Amino acid sequence: MINLFLLMVDIGTMYGIFLILASSMELEYGELGIPNFGKVMFFAAGAFTVGALAVRIGTWLAGITWEGEFKTKSILYSTLVSRYFASHPLDAIAVFLFTLFLASIMGAVLGIVASYPAIRLREDYLAITLIAAGELFRIFGRNYDPLIGGTMGVGVPDVLAWLPSGAKEAGYILLSLSFAAATWLILYRLSTSPYGRTLRAIRDEELAASTLGKDIVKYRMRVLALGSAMAAVAGVIYAFYMGSVLADDFNPLKTFLVVLMVVLGGSGNPFGTLVGVAVYILLDRTLAILKHYVVLPFDINYFAMFLFGVLLLLVLMYKPEGIIPERPLLTVRAKFCRREDGTPERKLCD
Amino acid sequence: MLDTNILLDALVYSNMLALLSLSLTLTIMTLKVANFAHGDLAIIGVYGAYTFLILAHVATYLTLPIAFLFGGLYALLNYVLVYSPMRRRGANFVMLMIASMAIDIATRSMLQMYADVLKLNFKVYSRAFIFNDVVFNIAGTRVRGLVLISTLSVVSLLAILYVLLMKTKFGVAMRAAIENPALAEVLGINVEKVYATSWFLAGGFAGVAGFFLPFRIPTSPDLGFIILLPIFAASILGGINSLSGAVIGGYIVGVSEILGTYLLSQPPINLSTAYRPAIPFAILILTLLLLPQGIASLWSRGE
Repeated sequence: MINLFLLMVDIGTMYGIFLILASSMELEYGELGIPNFGKVMFFAAGAFTVGALAVRIGTWLAGITWEGEFKTKSILYSTLVSRYFASHPLDAIAVFLFTLFLASIMGAVLGIVASYPAIRLREDYLAITLIAAGELFRIFGRNYDPLIGGTMGVGVPDVLAWLPSGAKEAGYILLSLSFAAATWLILYRLSTSPYGRTLRAIRDEELAASTLGKDIVKYRMRVLALGSAMAAVAGVIYAFYMGSVLADDFNPLKTFLVVLMVVLGGSGNPFGTLVGVAVYILLDRTLAILKHYVVLPFDINYFAMFLFGVLLLLVLMYKPEGIIPERPLLTVRAKFCRREDGTPERKLCD
Repeated sequence: MLDTNILLDALVYSNMLALLSLSLTLTIMTLKVANFAHGDLAIIGVYGAYTFLILAHVATYLTLPIAFLFGGLYALLNYVLVYSPMRRRGANFVMLMIASMAIDIATRSMLQMYADVLKLNFKVYSRAFIFNDVVFNIAGTRVRGLVLISTLSVVSLLAILYVLLMKTKFGVAMRAAIENPALAEVLGINVEKVYATSWFLAGGFAGVAGFFLPFRIPTSPDLGFIILLPIFAASILGGINSLSGAVIGGYIVGVSEILGTYLLSQPPINLSTAYRPAIPFAILILTLLLLPQGIASLWSRGE
């Protein structure tokens, strides 16, 4: 029974985190047509901010003096800070909000800086620049111990420690899903606004859009900054939920998964993103359960990744529009009209 | 301060990189797809050669053609099964790019599964394996086989490619199909066949480059992704649409990566060698900022 509860908590929280990531990718790729192949870097930027700051600020607030190396002692001190947070909810919320604020700024700035050299060039230049920047970011996190404890990882204090157990887990679902809902609504509002139409015009015919006075580079930069800030928010929630941050967790596989969700659900349609994330999590959990029943001569995790790779290829080849295809935008509300024979028909009435 | 071993290592690494960036450029020129699975072709080649080595105990260097064949066939398979049908259905550049990312993930996990099977059935190292080198004695100086053979391979493959492109009818057809596919089609050139051949060649070149990997560093399925950045840096430095530029770019990136990593890891800087990818990354960024058309734009007129 408790197991089922924890499973639901995990699925709900991860759905929220991936929905934020996928919404940001949908904004960048689905609306503007530039896939951010360095998505994991901005996700990591959020998580690294929390990893580097949460436990340090926490010990400062709690008045604990730090003894020993950051690398070896961060787990211990994060436990102590969690205990302090259990009786000081306001401090915990302050730490959460502060790191969230800082991380989203970090994400936006990093998004502009990392894409700057290639933002005027073709998509492949931008893609390899972002992939490489993401890898270097991960390597830096792994090798520079004072940041997030290098290969040991870093402990993150529990900002919901003041809730009773049970309510705490529900709290993380609520936190994750509410941020996901907010992010998705931003995406949806942008997508259906004149701004979204401009983005799609740039995506479909860059030259035509620029002849109409649209500054392509400015749009690209703003969208990448916003998308990266969103990814950083996902990173913050992920770090607090997991209770630790490990640099090697942020490998390019995460970027691939987010691309898979967006393409699978249907790029260009915000509703597709909702479905794509759900389908991925469903598949992932099913495979995780099947692992206990199947014996194969190789590690089944690789098999799962292989299947996801092939799935993305099949979608791209046979159903490139995804599960929920992009629809022409309604700029005028449709009404029900009557045909000659009296049956209702959904179209514009004269 | 620098000993000859490091210079020779730089030469070997650059030979490899030149082959890889040349073949990447070839695929970008034909299909206009930035193949993010290009490094994996090298690993497919080396795993093919390694399997052959396990099955038939022959001299290591005799399996070089096997690496060419495996790399080439896998690239051909990618082209015939994925890129060509996608292009016929009107997929755009970005979709092909995403497809190559999916191929990268599928290929690497396939290699990982294969490595598990290999280990289980033959009780051999299937990850982080190395090849033992032979030492030649030429006029009293001892030369590592790797230095000699990798250099010879690059020179002969470049010569073959040059003759193929410039002196044969097929080469004319290939250049025409790259220059203007529609016009070439009208003139009776089978563009599809030409592109498929160039993909096979590109995969073969990558396979040969991959074959030299285990002589230098322990080779694992994920290595194909790790070498992707220097390959792209070399190709972009070369101007992404120039074969000669790609070769020169390969040597510039290769030599600077080896020498730079060596110098930065020495006193007084003592930087960890883990930051090694920073060097090709710096070259990539500088190229994009200062010379986005690559070094090929220095000697060829802008097209």
